[in-house]
Amino acid sequence: MIVSLLRIQNLSKSFGGVQALHDIELEIQPGEVHALCGENGAGKSTLIKILGGVVKPDSGSVFFDGVPMEFGNVRGAEALGIAVMHQESVAFPHLNAVDNLFVGRELRRFGGLLDRAAMRAKTKAMLSRLGESLNLDQAVETFPLAQRQMIGIARALLQDCRLLVMDEPTASLSGRETSVLFECLRQLRREGVSVLYVSHRLREVFDLADRITVLRDGAWVSTDACRELSEPDLIQRMVGRAISEKAGKTTSVQNSGVPSLVLRGLTSQPEFQDVSLDVFPGEILGLGGLVGAGRSEVARCVFGVDSYDSGSIEIEGTPLAVGSVEESCQAGVALVPEDRQHEGLIQSMSIRENLGLPWLRKLSSFGFVNRGRMRDLASESVARLDVKYRGLGDAVSFLSGGNQQKVVLGKWLAGNPKVLILDEPTRGVDVGAKEEVYGLVRRLAAEGVAVLLISSDLPELIRLSDRINVMCEGRIAGELLSGEISEESILRLALPKEGAFGGGIKR
Amino acid sequence: MREASSLSVLLGLLGRHRSLGIGLLMAVTVVVVSIVSPQFLAPGNVRDLLIQAAPIVIIACGVMMVVLTAEIDISVGSMMGLLAAVLGVLSSPAHLGWSVPAAAFAVILLGACLGGLNGVLVAYGRVPSIIVTLGMLTLLKGVTELVLGGEWVTDLPSALRFLGTGSVSGIPISVIVAVFVVVLTWIVLSRTAFGRRVYAVGSNEAAAHYAGISVQVTKMLTFLWTGILVALAVLVSAPQLAVIDSGFGTGVELLVVTCVVVGGVAISGGLGRLAGVVTACLLMTMISTVLIFLKLGEGATYWSRGIQGLFILGAVLLDHMAKQVQMSREGDSG
Amino acid sequence: MRRFAFWHELVLVALVAAVLVCAQSMEPLFVTWTVQSKLSTHIWEIAILALPMALIVVTAGIDLSIGGIMAMCAVSMGFLFQAGWSPWFAASAGILIATGCGFINGLVVTRVKVHPLIVTLATMAAFRGAAEGLSRGKPVSSFPESFAWLGQGIWFGLPVPAWVFLFLLLLVVLFLIGTPAGRHCYAIGMNELACRFSGVRVDRILLGLYTFSGFCSGLAAIIFIARRNTAKADIGMGIELLVITAVVIGGVSIFGGRGNLLGTVLGVFLIHETREFVSWRWNKDELNFIVIGSLLIVSVLLHRWLTPAEKKQ
Repeated sequence: MIVSLLRIQNLSKSFGGVQALHDIELEIQPGEVHALCGENGAGKSTLIKILGGVVKPDSGSVFFDGVPMEFGNVRGAEALGIAVMHQESVAFPHLNAVDNLFVGRELRRFGGLLDRAAMRAKTKAMLSRLGESLNLDQAVETFPLAQRQMIGIARALLQDCRLLVMDEPTASLSGRETSVLFECLRQLRREGVSVLYVSHRLREVFDLADRITVLRDGAWVSTDACRELSEPDLIQRMVGRAISEKAGKTTSVQNSGVPSLVLRGLTSQPEFQDVSLDVFPGEILGLGGLVGAGRSEVARCVFGVDSYDSGSIEIEGTPLAVGSVEESCQAGVALVPEDRQHEGLIQSMSIRENLGLPWLRKLSSFGFVNRGRMRDLASESVARLDVKYRGLGDAVSFLSGGNQQKVVLGKWLAGNPKVLILDEPTRGVDVGAKEEVYGLVRRLAAEGVAVLLISSDLPELIRLSDRINVMCEGRIAGELLSGEISEESILRLALPKEGAFGGGIKR
Repeated sequence: MREASSLSVLLGLLGRHRSLGIGLLMAVTVVVVSIVSPQFLAPGNVRDLLIQAAPIVIIACGVMMVVLTAEIDISVGSMMGLLAAVLGVLSSPAHLGWSVPAAAFAVILLGACLGGLNGVLVAYGRVPSIIVTLGMLTLLKGVTELVLGGEWVTDLPSALRFLGTGSVSGIPISVIVAVFVVVLTWIVLSRTAFGRRVYAVGSNEAAAHYAGISVQVTKMLTFLWTGILVALAVLVSAPQLAVIDSGFGTGVELLVVTCVVVGGVAISGGLGRLAGVVTACLLMTMISTVLIFLKLGEGATYWSRGIQGLFILGAVLLDHMAKQVQMSREGDSG
Repeated sequence: MRRFAFWHELVLVALVAAVLVCAQSMEPLFVTWTVQSKLSTHIWEIAILALPMALIVVTAGIDLSIGGIMAMCAVSMGFLFQAGWSPWFAASAGILIATGCGFINGLVVTRVKVHPLIVTLATMAAFRGAAEGLSRGKPVSSFPESFAWLGQGIWFGLPVPAWVFLFLLLLVVLFLIGTPAGRHCYAIGMNELACRFSGVRVDRILLGLYTFSGFCSGLAAIIFIARRNTAKADIGMGIELLVITAVVIGGVSIFGGRGNLLGTVLGVFLIHETREFVSWRWNKDELNFIVIGSLLIVSVLLHRWLTPAEKKQ
């Protein structure tokens, strides 16, 4: 038996009555990649925060290399050789890459002043190891999301560590960056570094991990060698029940008649150029492409949050005014935005009020909100969507990710939209709730809603879409009809043509 | 098209380097005013201008750091008033008659305590800084009145007067202190770990916490440092006057916050350069004296506040335009 | 189980009661109807200004320029009165100009998207400065007796400004509790971005609020002028701090999304009673500053300690 690098014993933590971790046991061997799986709220992030010294557990102990770890001390954890990439620590938006890598552990010269040359050189070296060449003087906020995430990864890799902990490092990475990251992680494993890896992308987990630990509702469920576990088994352990994978699409849509949504030559410099597409009633049109290809920006323009330079948007043959959310709503456009936390919901408001937010004026009589009608609307919506909740007056922040997303959907369904735009509808939604969201989207399409689906999750895109348009660097690169859809065909269109696998998105 | 693009180049440049834009504005003002009235550039007047700007620059260096951590300090005006009153009462022979070094030391200590109190309430008491310092602004005003008891301190010792009016090899002491503070602040902000952490805390507090930075200590120290700087500013500016009354420092908080904002520091934290703030201080001080030289008659002095307000609005609007131009330009090259 | 939602208001009521009991034992004369109604003349301007301020702070904004707008209103009214207008027409025109000033605030806040703290800091100086420049610091007075009624008269047993305040209060309560835009104010304060993504007309609501704030500032200025019988550019100097203090003590979160009008009114009342009692008893203004300042800090500090730590997002 090898001495384990990290041994977690009876670890428990609760936040204000909610048990986030309950008697967790976990061992990590030197030089293994250990994946941590579980639905949202299973306690993965809490565990990672404890390992990183950010959160103090209520009870239990952690032994690192046989030595008990001191809790609640970020620097102490770093000194032991634990490097953590938290979900939130993606970047300091206003600072440049060098500062982002070194803040909190700056290199100093004699006299306490910063050794800027050395920090710069190390940053450059680390980024080039990750295949990135960025302007080191530019504020990080000007970089696309994927690059920012790479900087976060670089920060974690920079530290000389024996255990590297990563919380969803690939959430906004495309395939190329993911493979570079994996190459780095495998290299580290060869050097004897252990990795604790959290991801919702199960394929990555099977690709990379030696062993997989599953948490559910804050409790340990199982730890298995990766090769002894199948994907359905893993999902079943995460969810706690078997998921009946539905068969593919059953309906084939007749693309005739008036399309519900028509874009013609839509251009908004510099995000996207000359985007034209049609979505017919009852159809799910997938919009594929790499992160940063301009898909979300198109969605925002159609919904009226942003304005565009030229081109036209038509809803059922009627042109839409530029940049007016109100007009778009009235014309029957609904958007489930990419960032549920900040754009989709008001976290501290109740479920009822979130559901009613866009419709208060319609629910008013004589200028005053009719509370009875608002309550009816809310209970109708949650019943239709099967939201699991305790009370309609509870803040939405108490709901799980999947149920939150249902509330965002429900907010729009009350208005019977003609065009529904979904931007990454299942990001951060756990496996069980994903299936429910899929079912819901299909049902809506069957009812005649035109759905425009943006997703970076290729299996999801393929399963749901009747037709896929792929965007690349702000342009529609091509269209795939139902017979032609495959991951390979989407990726072929999504990747930039010249110098593919080159320097990524240059700025 | 050609003109439009060169204009946008200029606007883009101004958006990135605030001090450049303010310098340009200052240059234009100087040229216009000195054409109307040549004595504006007389050495004596420039000297007066610098003396006037010195305390503002000193305090702005502290408030800037506070704003960089996404907090704000609007108590500095009242703090100046109280520290000046204490300085007067301690040092004047008619009152306590302490020696000047002892009184100066006591004032610096008191400044540090007041700043530290602000910091503790914000960082550890979790009270929003605008509330804490708004309360302090009111509270300290009352304490000042109590200390002075409705009287004026007139008989400041000559050694103290020297701090305000004296000069070393022709350079006023207040200017020397201001330059020293600016250099120190620059070193701290750009060349030490603490400075980078100030930016980091303002840029993303949660991430700073995860990076092992103590957000509370960082914020506390910026307030404490501001308190010390206010004391320094009082030491070099209060003795310039023959009389210390309870009105000293009134409104300075708004002037300083204005300078910090016009100087390009983001009120949401994490963004801003010292050069911009210092030039903004000089510009705002200049505006208040320019009107006298423009020979607009005695009514002109009544407009000084209005013009100050317009300058801030103008800076805000210009900043907005510059940012938009910058954004679209970055897009073009992408 | 639901938590009791009005702890803050209860504490405020207790504090007001404590002040009054204290006053009763030390200065029995202070807690009488005649004295109170005489002293109440000082409260109305602050109370009127606290209403729009509470709404704006609920949306996570702030309006520092109310004093400046009062000055604009006073100076333009004085100007027109001297030009031979009737005081009533001049006052109406003054309120119109004040409303316009508020509209400018709203325009800059919604179009330029700069933090309202900065915008109104600038317009505070700009409006006050313009008023000073236009009037050259000279007061206008000798308004007719009939005009003074607006500030000093009694109507149905209550001072006229009290009626103005109560009418405004009714309007604002109905607006905030009943109308869609009123509910949206809270939503904007909690998460403006999500509101935009939900089709809430954020800009229109904010524009309306800042304009309303200008209107109320004008009204407060006119009442002040009628009470003092003089219109000068230094009117309402520093009043913004007093009003914000009252609103914050009243439990409106400076970060938006939280607070109500009951608390705001209680906050105004608490500040008023404390101030008046301290001046009555010790006749020292400086004590007032100290009391109000510590009241502000301590009330928020207590509020923070008593309510459980909010979940970090």
